[in-house]
Amino acid sequence: MYKRLELHNHTTESDAVFTCQELVDFMAADGVDAFALTDHNTISGHRKVRQILENTAPALSAIYGMEYTTYYGHILCLNLTEYVPWENINRHKPELLFRAAREKGALCGIAHPFSYGWPFARGCRFEMTMTDYSCCDFIEIFNNPEPLHEVNEKGLALWEELVFEGWNLAATCGMDLHGNSSLHGHYSTYIEGEKGGAVAQELERAIRRGRTWVCKGPLLETEAEDGRVRFSLHQTGKPGYEALPRERYLVTLDWKAGSMTCRLDEEIPLSAFGRDMRVIPKLFEDEAVLENLVCVSPAIQI
Amino acid sequence: MENEMQTIYHVEGKLCRDFVGQIAYTVCLEHTYEELDIEFSFGPQHFQPGEVTGEMQERLLTYCKEEYGGGPSTEEELEDALYHQMKTEIHTLAMLNDTFIGGIHRQLSERHMHFTRDEATQGCIPQPALEGVLKVIILAFTVLSDNTEYSLTVRARQGKERENV
Repeated sequence: MYKRLELHNHTTESDAVFTCQELVDFMAADGVDAFALTDHNTISGHRKVRQILENTAPALSAIYGMEYTTYYGHILCLNLTEYVPWENINRHKPELLFRAAREKGALCGIAHPFSYGWPFARGCRFEMTMTDYSCCDFIEIFNNPEPLHEVNEKGLALWEELVFEGWNLAATCGMDLHGNSSLHGHYSTYIEGEKGGAVAQELERAIRRGRTWVCKGPLLETEAEDGRVRFSLHQTGKPGYEALPRERYLVTLDWKAGSMTCRLDEEIPLSAFGRDMRVIPKLFEDEAVLENLVCVSPAIQI
Repeated sequence: MENEMQTIYHVEGKLCRDFVGQIAYTVCLEHTYEELDIEFSFGPQHFQPGEVTGEMQERLLTYCKEEYGGGPSTEEELEDALYHQMKTEIHTLAMLNDTFIGGIHRQLSERHMHFTRDEATQGCIPQPALEGVLKVIILAFTVLSDNTEYSLTVRARQGKERENV
């Protein structure tokens, strides 16, 4: 089965409107499988959310994390079990913090890398010099409330570029929830999991293998077998999305040296990608423009 | 009668414009306390009337155009950006014996980080034993003006039983 995750959320423990209880209620009402608690520079909500979930036992899991909100960019940490100090962040060596958090078992990624920063809010944009992406686990390619082209398109392009360079990076997205904003019509992160499975472990496995979908409708599944790539759709039933007839969907395939657009029922020979080893599939409605993007699927490793 | 909160540390200082970084204060706690309060305030948070020059406005517009491909396009938007969105942003974090006990990341110019065994301010974690070495870290993200003043006060209360020991 697939699990829908909301991986970027704040509470009154930092600068948001929802209390921990309200965030749990909000996520449960929207049918989310698991949500991350990623308050700015505090883990004080972990104990509260854990207690709430233990007491009410909803069909909902939490991923405990934090958004390291530094002077030069925001770093999302998931599966963070203890606070790792960030105050000595080195703008030119952010890898030090990534590695320190990962040593404690956390998954670390760059949040909204192209968000507006100074003069409106220093640190929102990722302005650190990252040279070794092996210590980074994911890029938040869609921060839902951010402008599509000015911020998110650039985030998507950064992730694609890094994947084509050979870095093992998963793609995630999030609402960066600070208030009572509807999740409908926005992207969520999907991973493979099992009913009753431990989401923290499933997330770690998905991120480490690059098996995440950033999607607001049906998931685009791919299968590379017998020298060909085939496609299928998995309806997620995400609230707020109305599925289209199958023939209205388009698939794009991007690789380092090229790209192509095809229909869902086409089969693409692997030879089409030349010597490139990684291909990123995306699903669109009607036309392959960013406004119509429905799903970014895991890179196909050839 | 219950003991009252006593000031055990107080400091004031000034920050210069564009300072980015942290200032850490370490307080060795003489006793074991039942209650601890860290109060921090700074000001001004926003530009004061007359402080914004034509040169600054030009700098802001050029920066936004170069970095974001846009920015405030009307006089009202520019005023809103300068006087409301731009702000001095300073947050606080506390460690006790090198363990994180709280961080307040909210746009406040006055704040308290309050701890007891059972309760704490949002962003902070209740502490069963308030003893040892307290480190308060002031995190300066943005300082708009020279001579931005700040003040930090640590207050604590000993338990009655402890006092009698």
